[in-house]
Amino acid sequence: MWIWNKIKQLAISSRTGVVTLRYPFKPRPAPAGFRGQPVWDHTKCIGCAGCASNCPARTIFLRDICQEIRILLYDSSRCTYCGRCADLCPEKAITMSDNFELATDSRQDITQTIELFMMTCQRCGRCYDLEIKNYLDKLQSLGYRYDSLEVRKVIRQSTAEFETDLLEKTATYGRPEKLEK
Amino acid sequence: MSRKEELLNWLKEKLKGDLLAEDVSREKCLFIDIKKEALIETAQLLLSRGARYQVGVGYDARKSGQGLAMVHTFAFDSDALLVAIRAYTPEDKPEFDSLTPTLPGAGWSEREYIDLLGLHFNNHPNPKRLILSDDWPEGIYPLRQEVPYDLMPPAAEDVAFRLDEAPPGSSIIPFGPFHACLHEPAHFAVYVDGEEIKGCEYRGFMVHRGIEKLAATELTYSEIPFVAERICGICGSVHSVNYAQAVESAAELKISRRAEFIRTVMLEIERLHSHLLWLGVAGHLIGFDTVFMQAWRIREKIMWLAESLTGNRKTYGIVIIGGVRRDINREKAGQIKKILGEVEKDMLALEKAIVKDKAIHRRTRDVGYLSKEKAIEWSLVGPVARARGLAIDARKDHPYAAYDEVKFDVQVADSCDVWGTLVVRVKEVYEAISIINQCLEKLALIPENSPLAVELEGPIPAGRQGLSVVEAPRGEVVHYLLTGDDNRPERWRVRAPTYPNLQAVPDMLLNNRLADFPIIVGSIDPCFSCTDRVVVIDRKSASGKILSQQELENLSRKMRSKS
Repeated sequence: MWIWNKIKQLAISSRTGVVTLRYPFKPRPAPAGFRGQPVWDHTKCIGCAGCASNCPARTIFLRDICQEIRILLYDSSRCTYCGRCADLCPEKAITMSDNFELATDSRQDITQTIELFMMTCQRCGRCYDLEIKNYLDKLQSLGYRYDSLEVRKVIRQSTAEFETDLLEKTATYGRPEKLEK
Repeated sequence: MSRKEELLNWLKEKLKGDLLAEDVSREKCLFIDIKKEALIETAQLLLSRGARYQVGVGYDARKSGQGLAMVHTFAFDSDALLVAIRAYTPEDKPEFDSLTPTLPGAGWSEREYIDLLGLHFNNHPNPKRLILSDDWPEGIYPLRQEVPYDLMPPAAEDVAFRLDEAPPGSSIIPFGPFHACLHEPAHFAVYVDGEEIKGCEYRGFMVHRGIEKLAATELTYSEIPFVAERICGICGSVHSVNYAQAVESAAELKISRRAEFIRTVMLEIERLHSHLLWLGVAGHLIGFDTVFMQAWRIREKIMWLAESLTGNRKTYGIVIIGGVRRDINREKAGQIKKILGEVEKDMLALEKAIVKDKAIHRRTRDVGYLSKEKAIEWSLVGPVARARGLAIDARKDHPYAAYDEVKFDVQVADSCDVWGTLVVRVKEVYEAISIINQCLEKLALIPENSPLAVELEGPIPAGRQGLSVVEAPRGEVVHYLLTGDDNRPERWRVRAPTYPNLQAVPDMLLNNRLADFPIIVGSIDPCFSCTDRVVVIDRKSASGKILSQQELENLSRKMRSKS
């Protein structure tokens, strides 16, 4: 009898009651291991560019403004929160925090910039060893790519027309060859 | 002699000099190169031995001096064998004979490369534009190497897709391209005579983003899994696993058993949430919102489970080439088991409460009927095929990850309609729960400190082919991969299950009522879109005129004032 089905449906609905969370009024903490906003620890960062060169969404950029100062910029607006940067960081300077409430009017609120004082290895002593197995070489073998702040817009808005010299440029556009081990 | 060698010898004997090269090094796969004149003959030979057509892949092979290439892949489901046949055509005469007259399911695959590579297919019955937007300039073929991935030609006004003329005596109701309740835009021009559907034309690919081109020009091997899982908002993990498997197949990399079990668990968790999501959407489409609310309530527990296992509700980001990123330890396994127990209990209660409801039966039985023969002809996959008596399931036929070690049944129904799809998907919920439980038991036997990911030794050599299938909740997903230089694939082709299934929708719609349109299109689990404007068709001349919003309002006001 289909009427029994209707009664059963009523029973399920009334037994369960309201399951919707009162979320914005009552906070819902994220579970352990949640991949929220990545946070950089500037005291640990050695400026190796591992995060920048392996970010699938290209949201981390580096620029050397002089011999000794390197700027790392994280632009969260296109971040996919995959957590690849935190995985790869050799110094564990990046943590995926549990902060997920990132809606904002201003892009600046979710942009992080670190100014790094770069030294040669003999002076800082903690960057990396110069043996063949160092982190930089390892990252390079995974497809190292140097992004500059000037070409921050990886996704171009428009190429006004189909230009032949644009085509030529793209033909040679590539990454450095992989290093032989 | 294995089945693969036997097939290869048989093909060699039949094709003689037309078979140029073969590659048997990959387990479960056979790659052969043939002369382009022998393409149809080879396809017919394979079909005569019971092969199922999967997908066509075109790519630009001019770098290696071979012009443009076309690959067609076939699956031998009873032998766990995948076959890819490849032929080349010179750049100055990019012609192939069309497979579509013999194999209707190849229609889209060929139309795709008319658009993207500038190929020409002789005798193609319907060589219309499929993928590119209507105002894309002629003569620019995005998949050719000289075209940059981010090329955006200026938009053109006054260009529109030319829909076919409606059959005489019928009118056109346009559905689409946008609808509030589902996630993809598509346009259906449905031909109706009164309430009955007499045919339909589809114009889609409005969200084609060129992800394959991006992978071949910008991304690297290890970045693609994170982009791949964003192909689909429902079965993302399927795509990242399948891509990783294709790369591992091409690189002949063997991953650890523990990683394979973890991948299996995540795939099945994804299947659970997808089936429940679909059940809810199907209920919603037939106006039965109790099903929608309750199915999604049950699903939410699974979403939270996935969140605590991987760090995100949906884009798990757990798969990398060579393994997985996160472990499922004893504590997490206990948590999964507990939640699955609750889900199973809730699901049984829900099933009992709706299984005899008249509303469901009346709206789904004999709706969207498509015979088993037609289903084979269109090479349907997934629950849509299994509802038509075809026992095909990539998990059983082409075991990957850890599916060779778990026991489960392929759920089949024979009612050939939407009801059958519903039954299959509900039964698969219980199968998925049992598979996860089996996996967790086997996972407990593998030492916890065994490695999760295997590292590649040296670069992946260029020019190697990889082919992999994964059974997504909606059906079989095929990934074809050709390795390239610069640490990225030269060609990566994704075929989602909707690709073959949607091609059969016009046949499913035939002679149904217009009110059943949403549930029929919804039954294959894509998205459908609703009417945003009305076209008035003169029955005799079949010439159309689109009413503006103002005209429509005036017309309805006039009607109302009359009555």
